[in-house]
Amino acid sequence: MSDAASASVRDLSGAANMIECEGVSKWYGDFQALNSVSATIKEQEVVVVLGPSGSGKSTWIRCINKLEHHQEGRIVVDGVELTNDLRNIEKIRSEVGMVFQQFNLFPHLTVIDNITLAPIWVRKKPRSEAESMARSLLDRVGIPEQADKYPGQLSGGQQQRVAIARALAMEPRIMLFDEPTSALDPEMIKEVLDVMKELARSGMTMIVVTHEMGFAREVADRIIFMEDGMIVEVGTPEHFFTNPTEDRTKLFLSQIL
Amino acid sequence: MTDQPTTDVAEPEEETSNLPPKVPRLPPGEWMKKNLFSSIGSSILTVIFLLIILAATRGLLGFAFSPDRRWDATATNMRLLFAGAYPQTQFVRMWVSLGIIVALGGLSTGVWRAGGRMYLTSLLTKGYGIGGSVVLGGLLAPFSGSARVSYFVIGGLIIAAMIAVQAATDEDTTVATLVVGVVGISTAVGSFWVIPYGHHAFVDGAPLTRDGTVAATTKGPLTVMVVLAVLTYFLGRAIADHLDLSWPRMVLGLSWLVSPLVIVFFVLRDPDFDYDHIFSTEVPIFLAYAVGGGLGLFALASPRIGELGRIIAAVTLIAAAATFLTPMLQVIRVLALALAVFALAAPTFSGNRAARLRYITVWAGVVLAMLWLITAINSPATVESNTSFFTGGLALTLIVASFTMILSFPLGVILALARTSDLPLFRVMSTTYIEFVRGVPLITILIFFSVLFPLFLPDGMEVTEIAAVTIGFTLFSAAYMAENVRGGLQSIRRGQYEAAEALGMTTAQKTVFIVLPQALRVSIPPLVGQTIGTYKETSLLAVIGLFDLLFVARSLIPNQTSFIGSVREQLLFASVIYWMGAYAMSRASQNLERKLGVGER
Repeated sequence: MSDAASASVRDLSGAANMIECEGVSKWYGDFQALNSVSATIKEQEVVVVLGPSGSGKSTWIRCINKLEHHQEGRIVVDGVELTNDLRNIEKIRSEVGMVFQQFNLFPHLTVIDNITLAPIWVRKKPRSEAESMARSLLDRVGIPEQADKYPGQLSGGQQQRVAIARALAMEPRIMLFDEPTSALDPEMIKEVLDVMKELARSGMTMIVVTHEMGFAREVADRIIFMEDGMIVEVGTPEHFFTNPTEDRTKLFLSQIL
Repeated sequence: MTDQPTTDVAEPEEETSNLPPKVPRLPPGEWMKKNLFSSIGSSILTVIFLLIILAATRGLLGFAFSPDRRWDATATNMRLLFAGAYPQTQFVRMWVSLGIIVALGGLSTGVWRAGGRMYLTSLLTKGYGIGGSVVLGGLLAPFSGSARVSYFVIGGLIIAAMIAVQAATDEDTTVATLVVGVVGISTAVGSFWVIPYGHHAFVDGAPLTRDGTVAATTKGPLTVMVVLAVLTYFLGRAIADHLDLSWPRMVLGLSWLVSPLVIVFFVLRDPDFDYDHIFSTEVPIFLAYAVGGGLGLFALASPRIGELGRIIAAVTLIAAAATFLTPMLQVIRVLALALAVFALAAPTFSGNRAARLRYITVWAGVVLAMLWLITAINSPATVESNTSFFTGGLALTLIVASFTMILSFPLGVILALARTSDLPLFRVMSTTYIEFVRGVPLITILIFFSVLFPLFLPDGMEVTEIAAVTIGFTLFSAAYMAENVRGGLQSIRRGQYEAAEALGMTTAQKTVFIVLPQALRVSIPPLVGQTIGTYKETSLLAVIGLFDLLFVARSLIPNQTSFIGSVREQLLFASVIYWMGAYAMSRASQNLERKLGVGER
């Protein structure tokens, strides 16, 4: 727990605001998926978003890189407000890395091509530079030997680590994780979480939607609990797991712990 | 010669893993019991259908081998069937064209290291089948006694050879499929030198038949083709062994793509270039576009140009469209449009210096190719025949089919993308076009394009009937291609789009790098089906009176004074030719599918 303690005690009060959300609302037809969500995430902060399924967690982080469009409120990422302007969206997307539940690797490209494609064509890097960076990233996520295989030849855990390397290759300032371990077999969850812990320690700003309570307790600076499209409770892991104030949080924790 | 494959079991291949799985075989008695006579009902059906097959075979053989058949009409008119009225003195150009295709095929086979190994036993099974068929044919066909006996002897010899080979080798012996193919083709071509099939030709307009082997002008070039195929194969293997593979593969792919243009407009047609005009007009145009346009594109492909680049590209497009308002050379207009397309695509392919240089090199190549092509088309041909197009028969069929395929594929992809686009204007236009074309019979479109289309062209522009008809085929085929590609586009999961978007890719990059490669792979089977359909539909050229293979077979040969009324033989021959092409394409697509399936899921 010493790691957790040190992480929770991290003083981020002086850090700049990385993401600011103010009254973000979104509807699917008549159904309100997000109800006036407001939150500020600081640089280098690791935020874990918890909540029952259908509570709007994924929808919210998908709004942050415009995979979903919010209808009310404002979202500011690294000083740039999200509008419908195309250039704006492309700029923000290349600063915000995203890891999906279903990995979404490109099945027709080898692992190395999956990682280098966007740096070469979006970041306009020379191929050689992009490739050497991709290899060092594969080293970092622990699978340097899989560079020339196709995604279909890898296990789920390896695929998810490739997906993390692919997002990191864009040198993002923020990483969004949308239930990164939910589609994995239990024995592969640890290898992915270890990579994410290492990333958190390196100072990456991260928002993680997950059901992994151990990860939340150990790595998060803050935990946001959502239900019915609203933020119900925000606090440190310490506060959240030992002394939650809201009844709904208590109910959620009693069901899963 | 039949036992030759056994001698080629040498050459240990590095991979044996790509062998087809070996299925344990049942003894013949049990196999028949299980598959043919498993119950009373299936026994009855088996007997009925065997009788039908035997009767049909007997009928076909009776037709083919009847002494009334005028097969000499087919043999004498081979040139007409394959190349139409192409001048005899220039016929070497036809062989050179075939040689280009054979050489590309040999090189590609070598560079891609195509061809695996097969079990000798499965080859022997086919051998037994062939031997058995010869014996059965001898039994069923209306032969005289002695001919019948000779068929029995040949069939018996084949079966005996198979038994001998089977006894001499063991179960696990394998042979390279390429060796089997080459031996098969060499045997066929070699037989032209040995077996007296007879020598048929028109001499001064009268058919002449001599005994002996076929004409040297047939067997000679065919032998050269076989040798060329083998040599280019080994050359391809050597390239594959010594060079990094990505370059040769790209060059070969491009060569395949431009080979129909080179063959038709350069080799077969032999344009008579007016060099004074080229140096005074075409060369300056090329320099202006390649150098001037290249410099502009180099600037536009800079990652830092931003919004200004899009504005310049849009202005280029408007200027290109405006060239159609004032009279000027067609080439200038076409190249201006191409330049606008390159300018619009520049941000997608922008990058560092090397990437930008590559982009403008591609541009210069495109300008050169387009200019050369347009100049070649507009130059008079030195090869002239007394028909409206310089060639006919199978050559015309293949030319129209391959041009239709090459042109309709990109058009179909664009239509499919437009139909699935988010922009309602594109969607409506594409849907309207596709639904309209799919609702009109092909023959209507062909008649429209051969008769009415030339009237709609602007002043000073004219197209030959073949070109007009090819446009008709292309527009028709593209609508169907679009629907096939759309099927592929819809099979791509939402997550692929999201992953590409999350990486900051533009719509164009997402389409080119992520969506199309996956969608086209899924669309291969229906696209090949469409391609085979187009190949066969070219026989509609006969209906509008162009001298394609079917027209030659159905109308020209049966009207020759020496061969009046010999239409059924020619139709049977044409069917076999069509079938061989379609079957080859279908097998090729199966191989391609298997290859591309590697690594996916």
